Amino acid sequence: MEKGKISFLQMAIMMYPTIVATAILGVPSITAKYAKTDLWLSPILASFIGFVTVYATYKLHKLYPEQTVIQFSEHIIGRFAGKVLGFIFLFFYIQIIGIIIRGYAEFIVNSFLVTTPISVIMASMVLLCALTVHGGLETMGRVAQMFFPVFIVPFLTSIILLSSDMEFKNILPILGGGMVPSMKGAIVPSGWFTEFFLIIFLLPFLKDKQKGMKYGMISVVAVMMTLVAVNLIVLFVLGPATSSKEYPLMNVARYVSIAEFFEHLESAVMAVWIVGAFVKISVFYYATALGTAQWLNLSDYRSIVWPLGILMLEFGFWSLPNAMETERFDVETFPLYGLLIQTITPLFLLMIAIARKRKRLGSKKND
Amino acid sequence: MKNILHILCIFGLILLLSGCWDRVEVNDLAIVTAAAIDIKDDNQIELSLQVFIPKALSTGGGQGGSGQGGGGAATLVRSQRGSNISDALSKLQSKIPRKVFWGQCKVFIFGEKLAKQGIQEHMDFLLRHPQPRERAYLYVSKGNPKDALEVLPPLERYSGEVLRELSDLHIGMQVTMQDVQEGLVGVAQAGAFPFIKILPPGKGEEKLQGIPYIVGTAVFKKDKMVGTMSEKATRGILWLRNEMEAYTVILKPEGVKGEVSLNPVSARIKLIPQIRNDKWKMLVNVDTEGAVVQNGTNLALTSPKSIQTVEKAYQEDIKDRIELAIQQAQHKMKADIIKFSKEFYRKYPKEWKKVENRWDEVFPKVEVEVNVEAHIRRQGYINKPGGLPEKEVKKQ
Repeated sequence: MEKGKISFLQMAIMMYPTIVATAILGVPSITAKYAKTDLWLSPILASFIGFVTVYATYKLHKLYPEQTVIQFSEHIIGRFAGKVLGFIFLFFYIQIIGIIIRGYAEFIVNSFLVTTPISVIMASMVLLCALTVHGGLETMGRVAQMFFPVFIVPFLTSIILLSSDMEFKNILPILGGGMVPSMKGAIVPSGWFTEFFLIIFLLPFLKDKQKGMKYGMISVVAVMMTLVAVNLIVLFVLGPATSSKEYPLMNVARYVSIAEFFEHLESAVMAVWIVGAFVKISVFYYATALGTAQWLNLSDYRSIVWPLGILMLEFGFWSLPNAMETERFDVETFPLYGLLIQTITPLFLLMIAIARKRKRLGSKKND
Repeated sequence: MKNILHILCIFGLILLLSGCWDRVEVNDLAIVTAAAIDIKDDNQIELSLQVFIPKALSTGGGQGGSGQGGGGAATLVRSQRGSNISDALSKLQSKIPRKVFWGQCKVFIFGEKLAKQGIQEHMDFLLRHPQPRERAYLYVSKGNPKDALEVLPPLERYSGEVLRELSDLHIGMQVTMQDVQEGLVGVAQAGAFPFIKILPPGKGEEKLQGIPYIVGTAVFKKDKMVGTMSEKATRGILWLRNEMEAYTVILKPEGVKGEVSLNPVSARIKLIPQIRNDKWKMLVNVDTEGAVVQNGTNLALTSPKSIQTVEKAYQEDIKDRIELAIQQAQHKMKADIIKFSKEFYRKYPKEWKKVENRWDEVFPKVEVEVNVEAHIRRQGYINKPGGLPEKEVKKQ
């Protein structure tokens, strides 16, 4: 089905924007609402979910090295139940992509292209991602690799440019209200960390399989550090006003002003963010297309890339009425929904698979 | 055939580059350089915009050295009443043939009357709109803020620029939209704005050639203005906010006639909160260095003893200023514009929780101790009082 191979580094580079791209924009403000000045602690706590997810995913992969979750769940819990679970996974991903595309488009419409119909922005992104997914996994890996500097360099430079406007004292008091606020703040980012389950769709195509786990974990650490850095920057520059902003990182980027002519950097943030969202949507899209083809026992996933795109667009367009509801979904629904599908379900699958393996080994011994 | 199709596809993408619906040309924009908001007797908001005229720049600037840009003003001012900013803006738009663009507006002026009724509702518009910048400066003006926009300053291109330059020089406080939002939603729930007036034009200048300038500080409690502080007290606030850059300190050393003037070169301010036995105390430690700019006394500043005398006077002077400012904030305004609450919250979050709701009562009772460490580092190009005969110089 997929003939391409990617390297472990390409996998890590694909996963990094997949998680970070949307998490750096709206999440700091949601975290700040609960964690106040401790918002930088929340991603560290949330990353625990990421480590668990990568661990469970990799162990599952070890048991069924050539297959994705859609295929091996049939082996673990039986053909019918496996098909049902596969459907749940695919439904989840199609819906989530719809919402990611919607979130992306809401941001663009809100801050720049105010009069452009949102459907045009959503459709053009889906079109672009469909082309990339159609190109296959290798194409995606290369694209992600190529865009990685575009993503990371402006980010690092903006930290340097902002350093003169930072008020480091904003971090105090540390743990003023105890651990509870920062734990509450960790709930929403932990939803993002569950998305690491997507590596299950990439691991079978690694060139060097031994390093899958290591680089999965490195990816989690990188995401965690980036989120901590973003939360700190936002806190240092905006202080108590963080939680009232819709896109705090955007406000922060606009705050850059060097010698009165080097300013108005928001378009740079915008460009970075579109690149990130593009990689993110592509990875999700690829996983869904591959999974759907496997679920339907097709010989190639490329034939269903286009129809799936239309389906995702429909989900993005119809499932949420407005921008506020999109944010509410991220805060109230997604953390639990994502955790259930992407972390708890794989953990259960892993437990059943191990139990069955033991039983099989046991019965073999008895023979 | 397939190649031709590919090429057609690639050229087809060019059509997408224009950005379709939100395509905006610079010559379709009315670039706002400053905005003033005031309230009128019938409870209507008056929004005045100072809009940049690109034509004035291109004709005037080209000739070079003519100063006044071909005789025409670089900006025009339009105002409109409405029930709130957005209402006034939509009505105002019908009087301006180009689309109003806020992205370059770096000066917002609130009228005194409006400030006294509360600015929260108006801040909402400015913060919600994606165009106005967090770095834009905010002011409160005495009288009608529209006047500040209408004047034609002789030196700068338009009056908004004058205010921005003054703020950048740290004449008076430098207050951005971000600061105001932090002050309003943060623990202090108080804010301070630079308070401006119009400087009348000098002799021989045309009627409108005055400039707006900063005369003191408008003090806000929550989102309402409660009073103003004089320029003298403002300098104390500037010391506390570490924005003391553009001022000269004039002091009278003990035991000699005349005054010494100093420019503060650097200053480090530390606010150290203390809670002992339920007594709230704030230690204000100031460590500053200055350079002599004028010496009207007969002291030769080369001798250690006379330096000491002057340094002592310098310390006293700074201490007086800071204490005056704190005194006014604590007892006259009862508004925490010096951010004591922030310091207490950072160091004592638990104790802070208890007084959070009655900070208004606690704040005036906070004991303040000001310690000033002031030194003179440089004395300029002469080492004796200038133009004073040798025998009259007091050597000590």
